[in-house]
Amino acid sequence: MEITYDKREGGMRIEVNGRMDAITASTFEDACGKVIDEGEKMLVVDCTLLEYISSAGLRSILIAAKKLKAAGGTMCFCGLSGMVEEVFQVSGMGSMFSVTTTADEAFHS
Amino acid sequence: MQGIAFRLATLTLLFSSLIFAGIVGYNYMVSRDIIVELAEERGMLLAESTAERISSSLNSVQKVVESISFSLEDSSITRDLLGRLGRRVLSGNSEIFGTAIAFEPFGFSSDREYYTSYTYRSQNRLTHTILGGADYQYFYMDWYQLPKEFEQPIWTEPYYDEGGGNQLMATFSVPFYRKQAGHQVLRGVVTADISIARIQKLISEINANESGYVFMLSRYGTFIAHPDSELVMNETIFTSAESLEHPLLTSVGRRMIGGEIGVEEVSDLPVIGDSFIYFSPLPDQQWSIGVVFPKKEMLADVAGLNKEVAAMGGFGFFALALLITYITTKTTHPLRNLTASANHMASGDLDAQLPEVTSCDEVGELTAAFRTMQDSLKQHIADLTQTTAAKERIESELRIAHEIQMSILPKLFPAFPERSEFDVYAFIESAREVGGDLYDFFFVDDDRFYFLVGDVSGKGVPAAFFMAMTKTLLKVVAEPGLDPGDVLSKVNEDLAEDNDSCMFVTLFLAVIDVNTGEVRYANAGHNPPLILPKGEPAQWVPPENELMAGVMEGMQYTTRSMTMRPGDTIFIYTDGVTEAMNDKNELYSEDRLIEIMNDCGGLSAQEIVDTVERSLKGFTGGAEQSDDITILTLQYLGK
Repeated sequence: MEITYDKREGGMRIEVNGRMDAITASTFEDACGKVIDEGEKMLVVDCTLLEYISSAGLRSILIAAKKLKAAGGTMCFCGLSGMVEEVFQVSGMGSMFSVTTTADEAFHS
Repeated sequence: MQGIAFRLATLTLLFSSLIFAGIVGYNYMVSRDIIVELAEERGMLLAESTAERISSSLNSVQKVVESISFSLEDSSITRDLLGRLGRRVLSGNSEIFGTAIAFEPFGFSSDREYYTSYTYRSQNRLTHTILGGADYQYFYMDWYQLPKEFEQPIWTEPYYDEGGGNQLMATFSVPFYRKQAGHQVLRGVVTADISIARIQKLISEINANESGYVFMLSRYGTFIAHPDSELVMNETIFTSAESLEHPLLTSVGRRMIGGEIGVEEVSDLPVIGDSFIYFSPLPDQQWSIGVVFPKKEMLADVAGLNKEVAAMGGFGFFALALLITYITTKTTHPLRNLTASANHMASGDLDAQLPEVTSCDEVGELTAAFRTMQDSLKQHIADLTQTTAAKERIESELRIAHEIQMSILPKLFPAFPERSEFDVYAFIESAREVGGDLYDFFFVDDDRFYFLVGDVSGKGVPAAFFMAMTKTLLKVVAEPGLDPGDVLSKVNEDLAEDNDSCMFVTLFLAVIDVNTGEVRYANAGHNPPLILPKGEPAQWVPPENELMAGVMEGMQYTTRSMTMRPGDTIFIYTDGVTEAMNDKNELYSEDRLIEIMNDCGGLSAQEIVDTVERSLKGFTGGAEQSDDITILTLQYLGK
């Protein structure tokens, strides 16, 4: 799994590429933790290139979101598709977070 | 074993012997050339000096004879005068054996046809005699005839003077004349005889000092002097060459009588073998001196020198061999000790004693490195033993945890043999690690039967704890008056409270009224189950898309309801089924599941589970299972 940072006005876009499973989940967790520590309040996770997410991946998202919430920020998701979108729906995560089609939409809403 | 010592010594010695052989060879060549050159010079010098010595001796004879011939011209000659002259010549010239003054027929006196005054040495005395007559017709002898005919002084070939000197001699003859009516008229011939024996003696004196020998040829190639007395006056160099079948010797003979100075290498001469012949002429006599040097003897010095060099080299070689053997043995000794210790270590004895480091060389460093390796190995093995023990302990604890986890799930089937209204069957297969799948079923009162399937996020001991907690909470919370949605909401409150690790569980919880077949259910983020209505294709239970339990406090879960007719089956499972992978990394997928389910019409709860399990096994083909697989089927049979 690869993570790319993209600093935008009003927040940070984090692009996740590959598989988010038990092995790589902590990478995502650490990456978000670092951005949150730097004071970002708006985090948009771009899942366009994310192929697979496991329950461990979902858990790392929840941990990061919890930390961001405690710091007074919000986490959004964009670019969901396929298996990832299905998981988001079934697990109810889709209703818990704001989900948009593109990153721009998330930043301008 | 061919150790370093052996190889080093062999290579060094081999190489030094090559160098040594080269030096000896070169030395032999160079010294041979020098010695041969020196010998050639010596041979040439000897030939020339011998020729000169004989020449000068003979030249003095010539001068004497020539001066007599002058004195005899136009003088009045008497018998007495001739006698005195003869005695004076002989007493003054020791090299002359005899001297003759011979006259033309009737040249001395008109009454005597033959007249020769001959003075010669005989038994240490000088004897004078008058020769000539029918028994000694000297006019036809070479010594008289040749100077007369050629009108010049001449040396005869050596001959045996029968009736004169009575021995082997060579004669120098000079014609003398008188004036008669303004003309030079031959009056006679003056001669001096030299004894060939004398020349032979001179030559044999030289021979005595040399390893080779000197010989002398006459103008026709006859041996005048030779160490082999058989040859002298009997053979020429040409007849000798012919009997020896030696053409080169013939060519040497030609060059010699041709008056050349030179040297020739001649092989295989009698007695002395391969030789060099140096030759130099006596021009006045047209004789030639030859000096023969045996090649073997000339090269004897070279061979001697070479032997000495070889002996010295051999001694040096031996000393070098000893030194190299000593050094290499001494150098490799600690290496051998180290090898023995290393072999001990290799056989498993890590406490093997290593040799003491006594030197600061490579072997010392190697020994030190071995010691470090030995210590590290010991340390490593100690660590490994400890780690293995710890790992085994943890694994054993995990195994026990897994056993406990499994033991809290109901596994006795048929679970309710006394109830004919429904049939329930469950199956769980854990992945290698301790996982977090769960299922459960129980009656909350006589008619209502709860059944559920859940999947805790993550794996391992934390997941197992969370799973056990969830299962316990569900059983405690589920009460006769509560809907599944309420139960989930309550359980979620407890799970989400202080859930810092953000663990969560997906749950499908349902309750069936066994009398009516009415099913009320709620879904907390779990993948939707399948309904297999009797005689119809399978279909998904519509998802609620409500959040997993344990994530957020205050969630309210919706309860839905449906009615099962007798023969209908509900199939609840975890994503371990649809995400099972084969070795091509393909997922089993929901499509395959629904396909196999459609083949399960009319089967019992257990038969449906077995069919799906077989299909899964067939798909994965034994690839390692990455997630727990849990299936629960409930078939409503009706009241």
